[in-house]
Amino acid sequence: MGHLTVYREVELPGIGRKFQIETRAGDRLIIVVHDDGRREIYYVDCENLEECGPVVTLDDGEARHVAAILGGMVYTPKALESVEMAFDEMVFEWFKVEPGAAAAGQTIGGLRVREKTGATIIAVVERDRRKIINPGPDQVIREGATLVVMGDRKQVRACKDLILRGNR
Amino acid sequence: MANLVLELGLALSLVALAGLLAARSRFSAVPFFILAGLAVGPHTPLGFVESAPVINFLGRLGLLVLLFYLGLEFSVGRLLRAGRSILLGGVIYMAINLPLGLLLPWLLGWPLREILVAAGITTISSTAIAARLVVELKRTANPETEMILGLMLFQDAFVVVYLAVISGLVLTGNASPGQVAKATLGALAFMAGFLFLGRRLKPLLDRWLDIPSDELLLLVIFAALTLVAGLAESLHLAEAVGALLVGLVLGETEHFQRIQHLVVPFRDFFSALFFFSFGLGIDPLTLKGAVWPALAAVALTLVGNFTSGLLAGRTAGLSPRASTNVGLTITARGEFSIILANLARAGGLLPVLQSFAALYVVILAVLGPLLTKESRWIYARLRPVFRWPALPPRKQKIS
Repeated sequence: MGHLTVYREVELPGIGRKFQIETRAGDRLIIVVHDDGRREIYYVDCENLEECGPVVTLDDGEARHVAAILGGMVYTPKALESVEMAFDEMVFEWFKVEPGAAAAGQTIGGLRVREKTGATIIAVVERDRRKIINPGPDQVIREGATLVVMGDRKQVRACKDLILRGNR
Repeated sequence: MANLVLELGLALSLVALAGLLAARSRFSAVPFFILAGLAVGPHTPLGFVESAPVINFLGRLGLLVLLFYLGLEFSVGRLLRAGRSILLGGVIYMAINLPLGLLLPWLLGWPLREILVAAGITTISSTAIAARLVVELKRTANPETEMILGLMLFQDAFVVVYLAVISGLVLTGNASPGQVAKATLGALAFMAGFLFLGRRLKPLLDRWLDIPSDELLLLVIFAALTLVAGLAESLHLAEAVGALLVGLVLGETEHFQRIQHLVVPFRDFFSALFFFSFGLGIDPLTLKGAVWPALAAVALTLVGNFTSGLLAGRTAGLSPRASTNVGLTITARGEFSIILANLARAGGLLPVLQSFAALYVVILAVLGPLLTKESRWIYARLRPVFRWPALPPRKQKIS
C-alpha cells in the first residue's frame, strides 16, 4: 500500500481499525474496519468531520464484493491486465497471456507448471470470455487468455515467468 | 422440579423481553435487565422464589465470564501504545472524577469501605456503551474517537487494579487497618505473582492451548476459569479477580482471538442473567432511600466527566466540538458499576449501595447516550459561554 500519499493506521480498541487515506487527487478517505466484519467508508470534505462527509456502511460480504470491483476482479480496467489478491501468504493472480508469450500454444501438463513452479493454474478465462475452472493438464494456453494462478508470491512469480519466457 | 424449570423459563423470557425492549429503544440492555429483575424479585408479589438461587448462581457465573472477558481484551501494551495524549487524558479524568466520587459518599457519612466502593461505581464509565455509541452514531472516524476509546482503555486498567484492591478490602470484613492493609497487599501480591507466572509460562500455554477441537478448548478454558476463581475465593480474594486474572493471562497467549470468539456467546447469555439477578436481589422498598444520593451522584458525574473529557480533548489538540463529544460519551455507566456494587453485596456492605448503584446506572445508561446523541445541541448551547467557534451547517448524510 506504499502508493498512497498519506496513510495512517490507528487501532480503535473494542471497535476495530481505522485507515486514513489521502489520495493523490487530494481526496480524504477514512475506512474503518469493524471487528464484527462491517466496513465504513467516510469521505471527508471539510475540516469538521462531525458535520460532513457521507458514510457508506458495508457488511462483510458487500465489502468483499466492493473490494473485488475496486480491485479489478470483476472488470479489469483496460490499463491493467494483471490483478493480484493476497490472503496472508497465499496469492491469487489474474494475469493475461501476452501475445508472443513463450508458452502460448503449449499445454499446462506439457509446461509442467506445478512441478516447476509450485503454483497452480486454477482457472482459465479464454479470450471469448469462456471460463474453464480447474483446467486439466491438456488445457492449451492461448494468447489473450487470462489465467488465474494460485500459490505463494514466489511460486506465482515463477509461474508467470515460465509462461512468458518458456522453459529455460 | 418441573416448577423450577418453568420458573427459569419465565425468568429467561423476561430477560429476553427486556433485551428486546432495549434493542427496540436502542439503549443499553443493562438497565433493562436490572429493572426486570427488580420487578420480579422475592420481595415483590410476583416473586421468583424457587428459582432465585439457581438464577443467582447463573448470574455469579456471568460475573466470572464478564471479568474473564475483560481480562482477555485488556492489554497493557495497547495502553502504552495509545500515546502520551491519551495517557494524559486518563490522568486528567482520574484526577477530577475519583475525588468527586469519594466526596459524595463521604458527605453522606457512609463508612470507609462503602465510600471506596461507591467511588468506584461512579468513576468508571461503561466501555461497552461508549463503544456502541461511537459506532451507532457513525463517529468511528471522528478525531475524538481515539481519545474516547483511549480513555476507556485507561479506565479498564484502573478497574483491574481497583478491583483487586477493593476486593481485598471488602472481603476481609470489619478488620483493623493493619489487617486490611495486609489483605490488600496480599491481593496485589497474588495478582502480581499470577501475572508473572502467566508471562513466564506463555510459551507453554501457547503449546497447551493449541487444541484443534473447539469443544475441548472451551472445556479447558472454563475449567481454568472456575478453578482459579474458586482458588482466589479461598484465598479471600474475590472470585471475580481470579476470573479477571485468567483472562489477563490467556489474553497474552497467541490463541486469545479464538478464545474470545468461543466465549462471547457465553458472556452474553450469562452476563444478562448477572444483571437480572442483581436486580432480583434488590428490595424495591430500599430504592426510596437511595434516590437522592443517586441523583446527586448523577449530577456530579455529569459535571465531572464532561469537564474532564473537555479538558482531555482540548489538551490533546481536539476542537471544542470534538472535546464536547468526548465529555458526553464517557458519562454512560453500566457493567462496571454493577460489578462493583455486587462485590459490595458479597462483602456484606450496606445494602443501600446496591439500590444506589441500580438507580445510578439505570439513569446514566439512558441519560448518557441521550446526551451524547444530542451533543450538537449541547455544543450550540455552551458555545456562547466558552466563546467557541460556530458550527458549519449540517450536511445531508448519504447512507
